[in-house]
Amino acid sequence: MTSSDLGLSKTEPLLHISALSVEYDASGGELVRALRDVGLSALALLRLLPRNARVSSGSVEYRGRNLAEFSPSQLREMRGGEVALISQEPALALNPVLPLGRQLADVLLAHNRLDRVAVSVRCNEMLREVGFADSERIMRAYPHQLSGGQRQRVAIAQALICRPRLLIADEPLSALDAATQAEILELLLRLKQELGLAMVFITHNAGVLSTLVESIVVMRNGEVAARATMDELQSSADDYVQGLLSPQKSLMSAPRRSSSSDGARPLLEIHSLSKKFVQRRMLSRKKFVVQSLEGINLELREGSTVAVLGRSGSGKSTLARCVAGFEMPDSGEILTSGEKRGPRRMVQMIFQDAATSLNPGFTARQIITEPLEIARWKSGPERTSRALELMEEVGLDAAWSSRLAGEFSGGQRQRLALARALAAEPRLLVMDEALSGLDMPLQAQMVRLLMELQVRHGLTYLYISHDLNFISLFAQEVVVMEGGRIVERTTPAGLCKSEHPATRELVEASERLHAPGVEATA
Amino acid sequence: MIRYLARRIGHGILMLFGVSILLFLLFQAAPGDFLSEVRLNSQISPETVAQLRTQYGLDQPLPVRYWQWVKSSARGEFGYSFAYNTPASTLLWPRARNTLLLSVPALMISWLIAVPLGVLVAGWKGRWADRLFSGGTSTLLALPDVLIALLALLIALKTGMFPVGGMTSVGAQSQGPWAWLLDLGWHMVLPVSALVVGSLTMILRHVRTSVGEVLESSYMRAAEGHGLPRYRLLFRYALPAAANPLISLFGLSVALLLSVSLLIEVVMSWPGIGPLLLEAILARDLFVVIGAVILATVFLIGGNLLADLLLYALDPRIRRQA
Repeated sequence: MTSSDLGLSKTEPLLHISALSVEYDASGGELVRALRDVGLSALALLRLLPRNARVSSGSVEYRGRNLAEFSPSQLREMRGGEVALISQEPALALNPVLPLGRQLADVLLAHNRLDRVAVSVRCNEMLREVGFADSERIMRAYPHQLSGGQRQRVAIAQALICRPRLLIADEPLSALDAATQAEILELLLRLKQELGLAMVFITHNAGVLSTLVESIVVMRNGEVAARATMDELQSSADDYVQGLLSPQKSLMSAPRRSSSSDGARPLLEIHSLSKKFVQRRMLSRKKFVVQSLEGINLELREGSTVAVLGRSGSGKSTLARCVAGFEMPDSGEILTSGEKRGPRRMVQMIFQDAATSLNPGFTARQIITEPLEIARWKSGPERTSRALELMEEVGLDAAWSSRLAGEFSGGQRQRLALARALAAEPRLLVMDEALSGLDMPLQAQMVRLLMELQVRHGLTYLYISHDLNFISLFAQEVVVMEGGRIVERTTPAGLCKSEHPATRELVEASERLHAPGVEATA
Repeated sequence: MIRYLARRIGHGILMLFGVSILLFLLFQAAPGDFLSEVRLNSQISPETVAQLRTQYGLDQPLPVRYWQWVKSSARGEFGYSFAYNTPASTLLWPRARNTLLLSVPALMISWLIAVPLGVLVAGWKGRWADRLFSGGTSTLLALPDVLIALLALLIALKTGMFPVGGMTSVGAQSQGPWAWLLDLGWHMVLPVSALVVGSLTMILRHVRTSVGEVLESSYMRAAEGHGLPRYRLLFRYALPAAANPLISLFGLSVALLLSVSLLIEVVMSWPGIGPLLLEAILARDLFVVIGAVILATVFLIGGNLLADLLLYALDPRIRRQA
């Protein structure tokens, strides 16, 4: 990171970062000299680096004083009092066993001497400022009683209750669903104006920035790649910058299936599929029934991509699990190639979280050859060479075949999961939020890869998602689910014209976040 | 909540019946009984042995004997000691009281030292103090309890400051209640210290690990980022969040109150349940053994119940589910 100023006043910079390098100790013990993770830089700004990372050179100055020279008590005063931090995961930013009122009051008391009445008044005020009408209830509640968006509001209240001058927001939106993201973004925007906050906003979603920030620093592999306003960046010729700002552009040139697949025969037919879950407690007669799927009818033609959209809890994942054969439906039938029980290998699934769907103790080669071994496909050496081929095909260096799954990055792991799925030579890939864990440019790369593979192998995709990213470029048909039912069937172009409230909610949230891929293709 | 308690206590009573039936079956399956050794004595005639057998009810079939025992337990006697010729309860109660006199203070002292120290050590993680501590506790953990007890006895002998073995000095009771209490306390110092040293390290390591894990969590980093003072972070934020495994451990140590000091009691000749149980097992004094095991089971059930109630009281997430 080279020198950069952040601040409101022209005369005195609030924060001055010069030639900062952070060393990060990777698992093996060797020091990787880089700001491996942008999040680390946020922590470096508050001298809150984890134990395996340290500042190797350069400095962070706050109002002209080097942070490294701060004494522990000065640091403590600055943290929360002058510079506040909002972190990525709202569920994990609050102590699970303390009431929220206590956690809010403690921040206030750490920086001010106040009596109990004043503390309570101030806390209630702050909670109302971040949009809670019933602040008394929130004060008594525990984190697990609130939704993700509410928890992020409480975290914001905690950060701002001492009226700091600078707010560091480290990916404050990425763990929330699209509708909630839009709400939190609006809140931050309002508070920034009301309180005159300086803000460092760290994100991978460039869409949210245009309304929020004056100047943008683009980081790449731990180094500053560009520094400009949004308008200047948009006209930048740098591929990396363009990939961040409008990842969908890289997809325009991607190959796609030439003709409409109307003539093709249906690969997957789902007839009036229903599934309910009954939760029963031991020694209790009370039953709790969740109707997860109700009368689903769906048809996928060979070589097509159907997107299933819906908020969390709409039954999308249950549908995916039924199609992939992990759940037995209560009623209705699923036909693959017109047969009731087609071969298992024909349908493969890719999960949301590659980190947990790959055995961290397996090497890349072992992961990819496993389905081949189960299918007793040819001999060992041939399986290995097939695995290397597959790695090249999904854009992984075959030289990494003996690395452990845990040593790959998030995007690479999802590619590895894709290679494993392809090893079984499936005809249908079910992707359950397979891209939601990745940042925008990575999502775009994955979508491009999926489109290429579709053309090459004639694959059919059932793509499940809670947001509309890249939908218009990728899918031919869109199905919107709510409460276990399909409430609308349309094309990506038809999404924007839809009248159904569930669809409107998804589209509006995506528009407010400037997510790419909502606009209809020409 | 009351229904939950009633159900737990019901489960506990069923468990006691199960344990007692199992004990009867085990003793039945084991060769010999109390009279086997009597029979080896050539001065006692076979007729006397047979008469004793009838008198003790050992000639009855197993279900009848079990039923007799249940009836006697309902009267609070827990059967009859063959060796001492008294109801088992008159042997067990004072001995159990003596054992608790050792193990309860030892438990309290261990936890009162281990929790604050463990939290502090967790806060020092990676520093030299932490390494020194790890080395020290590993060494202590590797020492067998018997060795600790013997070391304590050695110290007592060499310095002459503490009484070696026993529970009271001869004639202490005649000098008034205060002198007697002081004497008792003086006798307790060594066995209690040996117990504390034996259990402290294990608890300390659990506290340190558990708090250390919480300190790595993102909400602790967030709280630190809000500028909260260090000791508030450690004790008011990290400790409650790390408490769950520690409460389970506490329940377990309550469950073991009667048995944790067996070895120390035998080595230091403390008149607790330990020496009594040892004798009773060797002599096949059936009902004393069964009584002691049943008492230990009661503590096990009580300890687990206590841990669950504490968890319920302290963790809001569990409170919601119950």
